[in-house]
Amino acid sequence: MTATAGPLLEVRDLHMTFGGIRAVQGISFQVAEGETLGLIGPNGAGKTTVFNMIMAELRPTSGEIWFRGENITRVPTYERVKRGIARTYQVPQPFGEMSVGANIRVGMAPDDIWKLVSEGADHAAEADIGRSVGFSDEQIDMLPSELAMGDLRRLEMARNVAVSPTLLLLDEVFAGLTLREIGQISELLVEKKRKDGLTYIIVSHDLRALAPLVDRVIVMSFGEIIAEGTFDDVVRDEAVRDAYLGQ
Amino acid sequence: MAIDRETLRYLGWWLAFGVLMCLLPFVVGTGTLRILIFAHFLAMFAMSWDFLSGRTGYISFGHPFLIGIAGYTTAILSFRFDVPIYYSIPAAIVATMVGGTLFFLPALRIRGTYFALVTLAFMEILYQLTKVVAPKITGGTRGMSGLESIVTGAVNNYYLSFGIMFVTGVVLWLLIRTRLGIALSAIRMNEEAVRSTGHNTTKLKLFAFTVSAAVSGIGGAFYVHYIGSIAPRGMFEINFLFTILVAALLGGAETIIGPIMGAYFLTVLLEYLRPVMPGMERYLLYGAIALVLYVVRPEGIYSIIADAGRKVQEWRR
Amino acid sequence: MALQILIQGFVLSGLYALIAVGFTMIFSVGRVLNLAYGVYIMLGGYIYYAALQGAGLPVFASFILAILAGVTFGLLTYLLLVRRLEDNPIAVEISTLILAVVMQALIVVIFGAAPKTMWPVIRGVLRFEGISVTMNILLATGVSWVVLGGLMAFVRYTHLGRAIRAVSMDRKGAVISGIEPSFISMVTWALSGAFGAIAGVFFATFTQLDSHMWVFPLIISVAVVIVGGIGSIVGSLIAAHIIGFVETITTTMIAAELRGVSTMLLIILVLLIRPKGLFGRAEL
Repeated sequence: MTATAGPLLEVRDLHMTFGGIRAVQGISFQVAEGETLGLIGPNGAGKTTVFNMIMAELRPTSGEIWFRGENITRVPTYERVKRGIARTYQVPQPFGEMSVGANIRVGMAPDDIWKLVSEGADHAAEADIGRSVGFSDEQIDMLPSELAMGDLRRLEMARNVAVSPTLLLLDEVFAGLTLREIGQISELLVEKKRKDGLTYIIVSHDLRALAPLVDRVIVMSFGEIIAEGTFDDVVRDEAVRDAYLGQ
Repeated sequence: MAIDRETLRYLGWWLAFGVLMCLLPFVVGTGTLRILIFAHFLAMFAMSWDFLSGRTGYISFGHPFLIGIAGYTTAILSFRFDVPIYYSIPAAIVATMVGGTLFFLPALRIRGTYFALVTLAFMEILYQLTKVVAPKITGGTRGMSGLESIVTGAVNNYYLSFGIMFVTGVVLWLLIRTRLGIALSAIRMNEEAVRSTGHNTTKLKLFAFTVSAAVSGIGGAFYVHYIGSIAPRGMFEINFLFTILVAALLGGAETIIGPIMGAYFLTVLLEYLRPVMPGMERYLLYGAIALVLYVVRPEGIYSIIADAGRKVQEWRR
Repeated sequence: MALQILIQGFVLSGLYALIAVGFTMIFSVGRVLNLAYGVYIMLGGYIYYAALQGAGLPVFASFILAILAGVTFGLLTYLLLVRRLEDNPIAVEISTLILAVVMQALIVVIFGAAPKTMWPVIRGVLRFEGISVTMNILLATGVSWVVLGGLMAFVRYTHLGRAIRAVSMDRKGAVISGIEPSFISMVTWALSGAFGAIAGVFFATFTQLDSHMWVFPLIISVAVVIVGGIGSIVGSLIAAHIIGFVETITTTMIAAELRGVSTMLLIILVLLIRPKGLFGRAEL
């Protein structure tokens, strides 16, 4: 697939209604390849719902999602991953009874039953991915229950790196982390971007951690976009202040 | 397939087990062999259950349904239409895979607890239907008896049943050691996360289901020709489902070896209790044992033995 | 024929609603499927039989004994089994199924394998336009309405009932507002056992007592939960009527042997078309 001149991801007029609650009402935005977009807003603004729709974990009530000039609105999750979209979760979702290495193995495994059976695991490559997100060699054999929150976020990163995405959706990557861990994860994100040219959309409540990473910020409130621009512009915006203070 | 050292060592154990069981007829009487034949069939069913439910966490309460499709197909073909069993048995296995898949495919969309209930409902439907639909062919409530046997005599049947069980066991065990096995376990732990790492989980589940159905089909078809009869009662009964489940869980789900252990343990236990407790007391006792073990040690006998083995190794050092 | 279907349908549906109510309660409060629920029904029937026809106690006393047995066994299931496995609904499902088979064996050991016929709770037959209905089954329907109405009033108007409803809607929220969920669970399991036993007495007079009798009520209960969705008494009531009428229509108009099949097909159909039940997740 060749890179087109247009945006990497485009979301057109997405709506999502749960029962009677309109969680997302007409969201449209674009992300260019190589860009880092911040997605902020008070609790319940619909940020995670947008992620869920981009990953096809939720089917939008209406609206379209385009990726690399292709309408992927009806494409299932695993196909979107193959096209290059991946995500992390607000609450990390490791495979609880598997070691870090085995978690990465699932990420690396091809979606082809014959290959799953006939080809063995590449332990060296697993360890490489593990190390590339900052795991030590002993940690590769540990279980998720033995890891700290920062390491669990690393594990999610590792599993995502294993599917070699171009667009990575990061949901509250800094939540529950110590200052030191925040620094490490930020560094990791910057480094991955420099090396692999990743595009990020980052949802975060931690605006201080977010500021140095993002090129552009979208602010959501009650399912709508209320502001858009550079980080500095947006935080000075009257409507944004109201939305956060009204919380 | 990459076979590492650990796999080779385990295969050595499998070989030792195979040789030992092949020598058994020279040592024990035909009575014991007949008991063990039942253990082999039970092991087939328990492994089949384990490959689907133990791995993926989609608990099937409908395995008797699969076994029943196989049993009835081969029984009807050979008994009513004089099809040679060389054709009727493969036909039964294919029918189980196809028929089972057609019925279960929609059920695979349903998550967790409901899956078990739908499969239970399937079993009950087949139970009702075999009694009332076309009794001239199915034999209605009384079923069919006097089915052709494949081989005669306890020793031959012992080798046949052990051979099927052993080959199936090794194949399934090798399968779960591949990355496929890991992917299937991952589904049990977090299906959404498996999808978001780029896997078509429906395809994976369907594969697990088809393999499980094939194993049930093989077991079911050979089983009815061994016992020589089939009837709705006994086949589509909760007690039968219960025996399969308990064998798999008692032995240790998700391990394939565990269900084999469970099947031997259960069959032998039931048989040796027979003189002391001729009636339902046996079920009462072993059900109670299974329940306590399940609540206290859900990983089953396999993990107890594995732990003991580890302790012995540490102690030798 | 239409009148016959109408009367039989209502009567059968009333019985089914009574059977299912205890099962639905557990599901909506604890989110677990208690596959040993059929045992409460069986136990209710057998204890009533033993008290009335064995020990010669009066009907009322036998009824009380049956209910007490149901309550005790319901509490035991919760305390010994479910509470230990509560975070794992699949383990609860498996272990309660094993428990049910163990209890089935126990019943055979104590009462023998031969089926037993129970006397109706009240005698007499009502004849109307050529259709006859036993007073016993009419009483069952009446009791069913009283029990369900009482339950509805209980969860609406009593403090304890509202607490149960709160837990069924939002466990965490209920904890925050000072409700002790394990106490609520115990009350629910005790009530479930009681309802099961009451239903069991009528169900047994309607069919007969045998050690397999727990399976059919369990399937009816499961069907009611699946068709009616989680946690709505009214939804369950409607579901019981759908199931009862579908069954009556099938057996009178197509073939009597298809009694169970229609219910199974209904379950499968609903699950495939609307996996959350026809009425979704309403409040208790």
